[in-house]
Parts: sequence; structure tokens; C-alpha cells
Amino acid sequence: MDGFGGTTLRIDLATGNIRKTATDPALAREWMGARGFVSKILYDEVPRDADPLGPDNRFIVAPGVLTGSFSPVGSKIGFGCISPATNGHADSSMGGHLGPELKYAGYDLIVFKNIAPEPQYLYIDDDTVELRPAGHYWGMGSLDLEKRMKDDLGKDFQIATIGPSGENGIVFSCITHDFGRQAGRCGVGAVMGSKKIKAIAVRGSKGLKARDLPSLTKLTYDIIQRTKTHPNMAPWQKYGTAYFVGWSNERGCFPTRNFQQTYFEDWKGIDGEKLVEECLISDKACFGCWINCGKYSKAKVPGKPDKYVEGPEYETIALIGGSCAFKSIHEVAYANNLLDNVGMDTMSGGSTVAFAMECYQRGIITKDDLEGHELRWGNIDDFEHVIDMIVHRRGIGDALAHGTKGAAEKIGKGTIHFASQAKGMEFSGYDTRWYPAQLLSYCTCDIGAHHSKSWAITADIELGRDTIEGKAAVVIYLQHLRPLFDTWSCCRLFWGEIDVSPEEHVDAINYLTGWDATLEECFKMSEKIWNQNRCHYIERNGGPGRKFDIAPGRHLTEPVPDGPAEGKLVGSENFEKMLDDYYANRGWDVEGNPTREILELLGIGYAADNLEKVGFLGKPIEGGVPAVRGRKLKPMAM
Amino acid sequence: MKIKVTKEKCTGCKLCQQICTITHYNEINPKKAAIGIEAQFPEPGYFLPKVCVQCGKCEEACPVDAIHHEGDAYVIHKDECTNCGICVEACPFGVIFTHADLPTPIICDFCMKCTEVCNTGAIVVED
Amino acid sequence: MIIYLRSGGKLKDRLKPDVDQYTRRIEVEGDKPLRDILNEVGVPDSLVAFAFINGKLERLEYRPVDGDVITLQPPVSGG
Repeated sequence: MDGFGGTTLRIDLATGNIRKTATDPALAREWMGARGFVSKILYDEVPRDADPLGPDNRFIVAPGVLTGSFSPVGSKIGFGCISPATNGHADSSMGGHLGPELKYAGYDLIVFKNIAPEPQYLYIDDDTVELRPAGHYWGMGSLDLEKRMKDDLGKDFQIATIGPSGENGIVFSCITHDFGRQAGRCGVGAVMGSKKIKAIAVRGSKGLKARDLPSLTKLTYDIIQRTKTHPNMAPWQKYGTAYFVGWSNERGCFPTRNFQQTYFEDWKGIDGEKLVEECLISDKACFGCWINCGKYSKAKVPGKPDKYVEGPEYETIALIGGSCAFKSIHEVAYANNLLDNVGMDTMSGGSTVAFAMECYQRGIITKDDLEGHELRWGNIDDFEHVIDMIVHRRGIGDALAHGTKGAAEKIGKGTIHFASQAKGMEFSGYDTRWYPAQLLSYCTCDIGAHHSKSWAITADIELGRDTIEGKAAVVIYLQHLRPLFDTWSCCRLFWGEIDVSPEEHVDAINYLTGWDATLEECFKMSEKIWNQNRCHYIERNGGPGRKFDIAPGRHLTEPVPDGPAEGKLVGSENFEKMLDDYYANRGWDVEGNPTREILELLGIGYAADNLEKVGFLGKPIEGGVPAVRGRKLKPMAM
Repeated sequence: MKIKVTKEKCTGCKLCQQICTITHYNEINPKKAAIGIEAQFPEPGYFLPKVCVQCGKCEEACPVDAIHHEGDAYVIHKDECTNCGICVEACPFGVIFTHADLPTPIICDFCMKCTEVCNTGAIVVED
Repeated sequence: MIIYLRSGGKLKDRLKPDVDQYTRRIEVEGDKPLRDILNEVGVPDSLVAFAFINGKLERLEYRPVDGDVITLQPPVSGG
């Protein structure tokens, strides 16, 4: 099968049985990889009452169609499971070199089920696939272990690891690879840990065959030459995502002190310019990437050992830097390294500590809860101590290990009001009180609040930040387009930042595989995945769907207190109006339940049958579902 | 013709290796590339591109006289080569590579395709 | 004085390049911040994340000098 490795692995961890089958060409053609594979397998196989950290959940490793190919840019690999943070479909991707290596070894998909009796790691060297004991690795930090395994197995292995956070089931645990690339979100690291899989090590030498390699090569070669002079290239190469800190502050969307404010007065100390001036060692790219946004850095914090870290990237700077109010980029980089090594998502991890800091500020958490320590804004020692409490689930750390929503439910005292999350996953690094489309994006997102599925900040600016009309349709378009890159398993930044069109990505797929895919068809597939994930969520959690599309209290009731967005608030009434508009535009009923008509139109009538069984199939819509769902808008940055 | 390397500029993206194997083997497979990248992580945090400097040690070492300098590069002649691996061991820069599927070791022929896709200037044609 | 503004993406549609596909030549009278120049030529400053001049990041308060080649950078979509 051109463009694919050809083999699927099914691993039963209870018995240690590893089954190799040919990758199903029909599955590959219909779902294309990564997020698509994950959605389909989870929907078909996971019992609706399965505990996310129990044996019946699946842990899925899936590169996608473009992974490992000469294209813009097939660097990614997807991880999937039912999320312990959201109790719904989870897909989280990372770049680096693991995905390509796995395909070069011949594998398109790995599905784990059950739980291993003892810690193990998966060893793949071309045709050799083994579960090996990992008791001697258990407890090690993610970064420390990667180095150790490179020493043990060989530097030419590509390795993904979890840290103690994943072992201990902290719901925002990540999977780390390449000394700083993470599948960060949805708690995929916790599920990997629950299966007792400490690492995955891969070496592949078989390469990848393309159906029409000359055309694929010409397409990508020409794109490389064309984009070398693109005006966005030089700044991107120099700063990566970190330069965005200033802009975000000036526009009043920078999370500050757990989203109490949206402008951080000390942002210049944690901006990309500071990062490049004071911390940068080298530029580090994912496989096949000529933008190289990865900044490899060294953190020097007085009184602490120097630490190497890839990053910090924008999201980390926003949610550790701004949200925990660190004034120095070195402190942010140090905290970044700390979370990378214990194996925590820097976004949800940063946000959860910020939430705890606000609890401390308000006297809800006290020194008595913190083993005698304080938890002050911008204090790196306090930060480090509470992370240790979370990783080892001591005291209040055990509550915080559930993320902001879970912690708020345990702590009570109205703290849910300032837990900035949707469906149990923390907001990305953008406040939404002047950005209605972004608020809607977070609260309707199928994996919980995450910007990768819809980032609408510039759409809000372009269409008016005080306007709500028309926003829902744009959000739907973005929710179909952006996840496509996660499904094709390529980096979206080539589309987002240097004008490589989605059509060119589809051309690359066709040259690679010999398929006859169209962009229109891909959009329909993306919408199908979105709807399937929605049905899956309702089947697991009950309904109606609308019940779960809720915004955190602060983001609906507290106007921004100061800064460029002072006084701004979307407000409940506007939010509910946007939701009505969103459901209508999607072909869902007013309660947020997908209708039979839309599900059958997308080719997943089986999901309508299942929704009907649980009593939450959407009521038919008068006049039928809209012919066109979503409005194309290429926001300024994209 | 030679390739000039600036290691600080290498980002480890492997575009050079991809275009190398597309050009020579009609497949995408960095493991067959005639250019190496050594990742030095977590410390000191650099990539080291490894390219042939045409020192000629391989020609001297070859026991069956299968390696000769021709045109712009050293060439391994398939008919004579026994794939014994002595040249690989003899190369002081670690830039002769092997792959299980190939009948001879891999050595750079200086087609310079890699320099065309490198976007950082880590490898450039040296006049 | 003469300065050159460069941009890609959708910003380019507002900039209307005339030198090459990304670049527009602009005659500026007097000493003023880049923000004012952008507004005069019809590029909304709210959408410019920063300016990149001689390999350095500058805010929109930067006052261009003759011959500057100024790359306008739109915001990115996060890490």
C-alpha cells in the first residue's frame, strides 16, 4: 500500500500477545490516519462505561497518511484514547521523528488493550516487535529516560516516554519524545501509564514508497523554494511561536494570574525576544520541516541547576509564565523543563498550578494544605513544591491531579468559577472575554478546550470583537479544517504561517498514495469525525449535548478588570445565542444533539441508532440541515 | 566541489536525507542517505551534519580496489565491491553508510541536491 | 524617505505589493511611527503582530528610517 507501512499491530497487554495484520486499505482510505483512526477505533471498540484508566480503554498510536513522506510536513504522530480528563474521545499529536520512524519500520497503527502485569516498554526494530520489561525504568523522568534508553538501545532509536506523572495517573500527563516534543493534551500519558507502558522505542529502515514519487518530489521541492523567501519565514525561524507574547498582551487575551487579568505587566521579561537573547542554544526542527520553530534553550535560575529545554513555546509561556505570573523567561524555561521531565502537559499543568495559586491568594488553600509551603504568584520554589505534591499525589496535590475541574469539585467553595476549562480540559493560552468566537471554540471542542481544533482570535478581530453574529459558522469551518492536519498527520503551520494551501496537501496525499481524494471530501470526513466524537461523548456521558457545552463562570460573568480589554465580557446571553447559532449551523437540534439526517448524510447512520438508544438523538430540524455547514474564512494569520 | 557545513545552523530536519534517497533510490528512506546527522541531545544541544570531505582514506583502505575518485567524488564500483565494510571502518568522519538492502556501502556522489533543500544554510556548496 | 514593507498571507491583500509578490515601496513624509504609516496605507495595525527589521523584532511604535525593509508579521496560531 503506497504511502503506508502496511502493518497494523494489535497488542493485548494482559496476555502479552502481539498480533500483526495488514493495514486495512479501506480503513486507511476512509479515515486517513491519526485522529481519524483514533475516532473510529474508539467509537467501535471501547465500552461506553469503560474507565479511562482501566483495562477496557484503548491506547492508540497512529501516524497518518502524510507521516514520513516528503511533503509539507509529515512529521506528526497521533495518540488516542478515552481521556481521563474529559471522559470523551481524545487525540493528541506530536512532531519530532517518532512517527516517520514507525512508518519506516512498517507500522501504521498500534492498538493496545488491557493492562500489563508489570511495567513494560514496546520495542520495535523493523520486523522485531517485543514487549520488554521496564521495571528498571519505572519512576524515571521522561527526559532522563529518553537519554538512558538511547544509551541502552542505540542513538538511532526514536523514543517516546512517560514520566512519573503518567505512571501516577495525573489526568494531564503527556507523552514526551525527542527531548522536548510532546503529545501534551487530553491526558494521553496517563492512559499510557495506566497500561503500564513506560516507553515506545522504534527503529525503522524500510523507508516509504510513493505511487508517484517524481510528482510528490516536485510539489514539495517547489513549495520549499517558494516559501524560502516568504516574509513570515525569517521571523518564524528566529523566534518560533514565542514572539506572540507581546501581541497577545497588547490585544488583551494573555492569561494572567489564572485568567484574572488578560494583560501581564511584566510580559517583556518572558517574550520571545528575551528567549532568543538569553536562553537560545540552537534551532530544532521536526522531521522534514524547514521552518524549525523549535527553540532549544538553557534555563539559568539563580540557586538552581541549569536546565536544557525545548521551548518554551507560546502556550507554555502563556499558561506557566502569564498565568502563574513569572517575570523571567529563565523561570518559565525552568518550569517547562520540570514539567517535561515529570511528564506533565505544560498547558494544563501550568493552568492547574495557576488555579491553585488563586485558591491560595483567596485563602482557600493554605500553608496547612501545602506541607508548610506557600504558593505565591511567580515564585519558582513554591511552583516546584506543588508540582511535586501533584506528581506524588500528596495532600492537596491529589485533588489537583484531577485538573482544574476535578480539583474544583473536590475543593468546593465556589472554586469552579475560576477553573478555566471546558469539559474538564484547561483553556489554551488565550482569554476569551473579548473573543466570542474563541470562547465558542473552546466550549464546543470535541476534545475539551484546545486551540488546535479551532483558533479564532484573528477571526474575532477581523469580524469585530464585540460582534457575535456570524461567529458560529466560522468556528465550524475552522473545526473542520484545522483537525484535518491532525488527521493527515502533518504540521498545520505550513498552511497557517507560510501560505501552503490545503489543496497542496491533498495533492501530496494523492501523489503519495494514488488516491483520488479531494479537499471537499476531506472536509466531509473531518465533519464526520467531529460528529462521531460528539455522539461518542453523549453516549458516554449522557445528554443532552448542550449540557456539556458550558463556559467557566469567570468567563461569562467577570468583565476584564484592566488592560487593553478592560470592561470586556461576552456574557451568558451572547454565549447562549452563539450556541443556538452553532447547533443550527451544524444540523444539530437546539439541545446540541446531532440529528439522524446529518449523521446519515455523513455516512455514520450507526451513530444515529446509538444516540436513539440512549435517548439523545436530535429532533428533526424544520427545513432540514443546512446544505453548507460552516463559513470559509481564512483569518489573517492563516 | 565540496559541501560546507555550519553545524550551529543544522536543525536536524532530515530534508537533506530525504532528497538524497529520493534522488538515488527512488524512495523516501533517510537510512539510505549518504549524509549523516548526529543529534547531540540533551547536551550540548546541537546537531552535527556529517558529510564526505573527500579525504581518500576509503580508497586507500579498500582491499579489492573498488573505490576510485572520479569526477566530483569517490565512487564505489558495484562489480568489484564485496561489501566487506573495511571502508566504513576506515572512514575517519563516519560518512560511509550501510543498509541491509544495498549491495555496497553508501558514499556521497556530490549531486548537491541536499544543499538545495536546506533552508538554514547548514550545508551549502563550497566553491 | 523611501521604505519597503513586506508581508505574506492575507495581510498581503491589504498591502498591495508592487515591487515583488511580497513587497511594496512606500514614500513616507516626516518622522512617524510605523503604526501611523500602516494606517495610512490601509493595513490594519490590529492584525500586525510585530515588525521584523534588520533581523530584529520591533513594536509598531518603531520610527522607520530611509531604506528600511520592514517585514510585517501577522499573529501565529499558538504552539
